[in-house]
Amino acid sequence: MSLGAAELLPGAGAGLDFSEGAGPVLARSPGQLFWRRFRRDRVALVSLAFIVFLILVAIAAPLVVKLLGLPGPYVQNPNLTNAFGSPLGPSSAHPFGVDPLGEDVASRVIYGTRVSLIVGIAGTAIATVIGVVVGLLAGFFRGWTDTLLSRLVDVVLAIPILLLGLGLGAACEVRGCLGGHVQSGLGVIIFLIVLVNWTYIARIVRGLVLSLREQEFVEAACAQGASNARIMLREILPNLLAPIVVYSTLLIPQNILLEAALSFLGVGVRPPTASWGQMIAAATPIFNTAWWYMAFPGIALLLAVLAFNLLGDGLQDALNPRIAR
Amino acid sequence: MVIRSIKRFMLAALVGGAPVALVAGAFVSLSLVLAACGSGSGSVAGAGGIKAPPGVKTPETEPQGGGTRGGTLAVLNHQDFEHLDPGQAYFSIDYEAMYPTQRPLYSYKPNTFAAPSPDLAEGMPQISSDRKTVTVHIRSGVRFSPPVNREVTSADVAYAIERGAGASVANPYFSSYFGSLEGAKNASGGPIPGIATPNSHTIVFHLTEPKGQIVASALVLPLTAPVPEEYAKRYDARKPTEYGNYLVATGPYMFKSNSEGKVLGIGYQPGKSAVLVRNPNWNPSTDFRPAYLNQIDIQIGGDPNVIGRQVLEGSDMVQNDEVAQAIFELAYERFRSQLEISAGAGTNYIAVNNKQGPFANVNVRKALWAALDRVALDKARGGELVTNVMTHFIYPEIPGFEQAGGLAGPQVDYNRYPSGNMQVAEKYLRLAGYPSGRYTGAKTIQVVGSTGSPNSTDAEIVNQTLKNLGFQTKFSLVDQSVMYSKFCGVPAEEIDVCPNVGWAADFGDPQAVLDVPFNGEHIESTNNSNWGQVNDPAINRKMAAAELLVGIQARAEAWANIDRELVGQAVAIPFAWDKQPQIESKNVAGVGDVWNLGSWDYSFTSLK
Repeated sequence: MSLGAAELLPGAGAGLDFSEGAGPVLARSPGQLFWRRFRRDRVALVSLAFIVFLILVAIAAPLVVKLLGLPGPYVQNPNLTNAFGSPLGPSSAHPFGVDPLGEDVASRVIYGTRVSLIVGIAGTAIATVIGVVVGLLAGFFRGWTDTLLSRLVDVVLAIPILLLGLGLGAACEVRGCLGGHVQSGLGVIIFLIVLVNWTYIARIVRGLVLSLREQEFVEAACAQGASNARIMLREILPNLLAPIVVYSTLLIPQNILLEAALSFLGVGVRPPTASWGQMIAAATPIFNTAWWYMAFPGIALLLAVLAFNLLGDGLQDALNPRIAR
Repeated sequence: MVIRSIKRFMLAALVGGAPVALVAGAFVSLSLVLAACGSGSGSVAGAGGIKAPPGVKTPETEPQGGGTRGGTLAVLNHQDFEHLDPGQAYFSIDYEAMYPTQRPLYSYKPNTFAAPSPDLAEGMPQISSDRKTVTVHIRSGVRFSPPVNREVTSADVAYAIERGAGASVANPYFSSYFGSLEGAKNASGGPIPGIATPNSHTIVFHLTEPKGQIVASALVLPLTAPVPEEYAKRYDARKPTEYGNYLVATGPYMFKSNSEGKVLGIGYQPGKSAVLVRNPNWNPSTDFRPAYLNQIDIQIGGDPNVIGRQVLEGSDMVQNDEVAQAIFELAYERFRSQLEISAGAGTNYIAVNNKQGPFANVNVRKALWAALDRVALDKARGGELVTNVMTHFIYPEIPGFEQAGGLAGPQVDYNRYPSGNMQVAEKYLRLAGYPSGRYTGAKTIQVVGSTGSPNSTDAEIVNQTLKNLGFQTKFSLVDQSVMYSKFCGVPAEEIDVCPNVGWAADFGDPQAVLDVPFNGEHIESTNNSNWGQVNDPAINRKMAAAELLVGIQARAEAWANIDRELVGQAVAIPFAWDKQPQIESKNVAGVGDVWNLGSWDYSFTSLK
């Protein structure tokens, strides 16, 4: 379902669509139109509901763990491993089993939601803000501003992000780097996500702005003597909301996976903080004796990524009705 | 969970002249050597009290004689050798090939890490009364394998040690153990004034300090295995030396080689295989090795889980490097008679900063000791089958172990509860000036552990224990080599807690266990192996005195006393004495070396 960015432009039809339904023409706002279409997409609705559920679980993790009668993510219990130190499997007290420290895997999967969502949502949000600003400036002013910013994007896109992550993660361990401002763990991961992701948003926004700034409503605003800032923020930016929402939603699952990958490789979130990727890594050498330690965080990761992807697709469809489903 | 670790020890700092060696690491391993030859008194080994589970073999219980002659043993190892040259070998996997093929002046029989036997030497070393001269007589009738063929003389031993000091061989032990030889400071591969060979069967070591005992002890190192100068010289001229590729043997076996003596590509294919065949010039009447096998085929590479199953279910095979955890469990449950567990595989302890921060206070150190669940820490390493709860610092098999308290250790209250006791911990925190029994200092302490199971698991347990005591911690895990080289081994980093340090001695001598890690004289600004910066003047003085003692018994007692003081000052928090599992096929009568992590000894192992 990949779409060209231009197809999401309201000017190309998404914003004012009078073709729906027969009968009298009703005046509806773009938001209402969007919602009418989105709510018919059951897959997207379920995804949205699941994501809301994840967010609630993340916020209320301590309460959820308590309500389920679980011991919490940091409670070590050597009595829950066998004579060889192998962890015990699922039971009524520990529905997802325990890890080699005797910590409850269910509790850690629940707390792991926090890391994934913080990284996914916060990292993406920061990257989006930067990307929009850069894209707006480059597209609107063109000329040397555009050249400079676009070349910067090219340079950043050339950075091998996983290698950089491995290097930074190792270099920032213990003492932090950049004078202690970037600490290993979440700090490094969010830094990396922002570093790479703003470029995608910036490119898309730049392209859209280049085309939008030639539209009549911009010329009209210009003729009325509106300032550049006002044109960018009040005339152009609102028309970019739909593509920004869609693309940033689609970036979230990528970032959740990047966190998992970095944590899996040992440079991401460090114990005792619970992270799905780090749990999967720790489970790898003992998969034969403790499948649950890998399976449950793996399923959680899969579902979260899937939900964000499906939601992103749903948003895209709802905001751009010309594409046949 | 544990992948039991063998092999690889890291030589950390070799302090000039410091007699000891070291190794570090929980993935630690082994090492070597000798102990107190001097007085020739009987053994005072420390094995007592370490019991194997029913049905499991140990190097102490395996019969060393009565094997059947003949046959070919297949060795399936996933690791490769590091060095075949006896002047360079220092990993336990190298030692497996070293002792069947080379004859150092002294070596250990499989069941002892305390009493060396004369090997190339004819009797025990003679240490002069001023302890500055050590004299060794060597046997007649020992000959080099083809193509050298001639009889070994004392000059070959002198050359072997001298070449070790040169850059092309760069023996890692030379400065530690032989640094007191006259002229050792300037040695660069040529003759050393302190090594004399008054006749072809006598070698005399002249020392600048009264360190005769430690030099005598070090004569079990493979460095003392003879090297024929006229043959090896051209290979030693290259940097690094290529003698290992043309290795000649004095032991019952030799690497298969061509008529020029070339081993590389013939008897040893790096990363693939090695073949040991009988040495035609070996005279059994000069040796204590029975050498039952006709040939040893070593295959290198593969997945330890696959290798392990092949060995357990097949015949004529052993695995002689680390056994995968799943295979260990399988062997214990279903092939118990094919499993050997060897004690004496080193120590694991928590280094705490004795110099600054909260752990400069002895009572805070005792509180951590008391609170720590050592049983849980050991369980993460594979449980009591492969560990014993560590209660003091001299470890099983090393002389002085029993005198220092044996398995139970000194009966002080903070040592009495292997699973931890918070009441005792609170008592010591109150004594340290925290009336609530919880640590309430403001400073966040820095904990640096090692990645990789089981170390990371142990580090997490320690971190949680610190939090339970009230500490705020900054917890980091880094690669083990980085942990030592950048953090725990660098005092300027001011790390408060290093939960994953460990030690295996090069020698069955208690000095080799305690001196470097706990003697304040050995604190270095980099590559420091006194990780906790332990520097107690009284203890330093006792170590200086104990170092000069001659005789196993006297040394065992003196160093055991020092061990008790180290426990009394809680200079570090011990938690695991490692044991090492090894596996064999059903028809193999394996004999393991307790001084080498229980590795199968090809000179004693036979087929049923």
